[in-house]
Amino acid sequence: MTLSCKALKKITLNIPTINDSHNDFINLFKLLAQIEKCENTEIIFDFSECKFLRQNAVAFLGGLAKLINHRGGKAKFSWHTMQDKIHKNLEQNSFVFEFSGFADGWVGNCIPYRQDLCNDIDDRVVEVMNYLDDQWLGRGWIDIEPHAKNEVIQTVLELYRNAFDYSRSEIGIFTCGQHYPAIHQLKLSIIDFGVGIPHNIRLHLQKEDMLAEKALRWAFQGGNTTRQGSGGYGLNMATLKSFVKEKKGKIDIYSHEGQISIDPWGEIHQNSSTFFKGTMINISLQCI
Amino acid sequence: MATYIKIYDLCGANCIAAKHATKLYEQIYPLLKAGKEVELDFTGTYRFLSIFFNIAIGQLFGDIPADQIERSLKFTNLDDLGQRVYQHVKESAKLYYGDENYRKAVDSVNAEELLAYA
Repeated sequence: MTLSCKALKKITLNIPTINDSHNDFINLFKLLAQIEKCENTEIIFDFSECKFLRQNAVAFLGGLAKLINHRGGKAKFSWHTMQDKIHKNLEQNSFVFEFSGFADGWVGNCIPYRQDLCNDIDDRVVEVMNYLDDQWLGRGWIDIEPHAKNEVIQTVLELYRNAFDYSRSEIGIFTCGQHYPAIHQLKLSIIDFGVGIPHNIRLHLQKEDMLAEKALRWAFQGGNTTRQGSGGYGLNMATLKSFVKEKKGKIDIYSHEGQISIDPWGEIHQNSSTFFKGTMINISLQCI
Repeated sequence: MATYIKIYDLCGANCIAAKHATKLYEQIYPLLKAGKEVELDFTGTYRFLSIFFNIAIGQLFGDIPADQIERSLKFTNLDDLGQRVYQHVKESAKLYYGDENYRKAVDSVNAEELLAYA
């Protein structure tokens, strides 16, 4: 992963292969770090070195492109540098359509890429709810009782509602998912490029020096809240945690230097070496 | 006799929108303030976000004593999931309005939020 500056304020951002291990998330955040100070610059996403992109990378790169454009720069995808299989996947999940205006997506194994601005929040939440109902847990990829589905979607919807209300992400929230039939996994990634959960928790608890992982731990503990009046950061994750454990899946949450990983074998809370100002949530479920 | 409000008629099956919660609050606040009883019938609803209960009911605790709310506000046909969300909101509301330091801390996050979009 290298960054080379060329004339006319053009920069090439070399996109590596991105899976969804810890190092892959760190590599994504490093991409953002590389362009942080590049304002009014054309940034070309080059995929020559990329052999695979998971849904977390798709959602993240979509957000990154929007962030570049939002800051007065220009994000340009070098489509011809992509391997065919990657391009096909990005066509299918509507990413190509979003950024090039051609090649409509189609129904396959993807959960379509989407971006939601943090305005008209009530309407956005309904749209997201329908998306989760139909595209994520409504495709028959996962065995789930209607009541449990209801509860899980409600929990994930709380995550969205909190991101809409508190992230202050000027470019919105980015989502993408994928069903991987060969490995029997269903994955969904949700990302915002806002102030990050630790920022709000530190402010709320008036602990400026609170470690990011401790702030995340506080936020995802049932009963804690920063919502005015009452209600919550609302992140009572018990339902989602038990569902993920039952499905032998995993939840990864990154915000600032903090990281939480939850799987059937336990929970890891730690500070990572790389800073990501926003919040990334990755949910993996085992289908069989 | 309690004033009867059918929640489904207000927001359909999903109690998730702030705008519906605000309408509900505007309906029930003057009634409870006047010492009247209100029955909220949740028949047909099945999905609930904390923000809905937070706006519709949580903020009642700022101006009406908790025991009066508990006595005068009846919930019918609210399923387990809804009850859990409501209980969470209710406890948070009691804490928020009952503890000045806690309220200041919560408000600091929201004040910054408002400033960011001012």
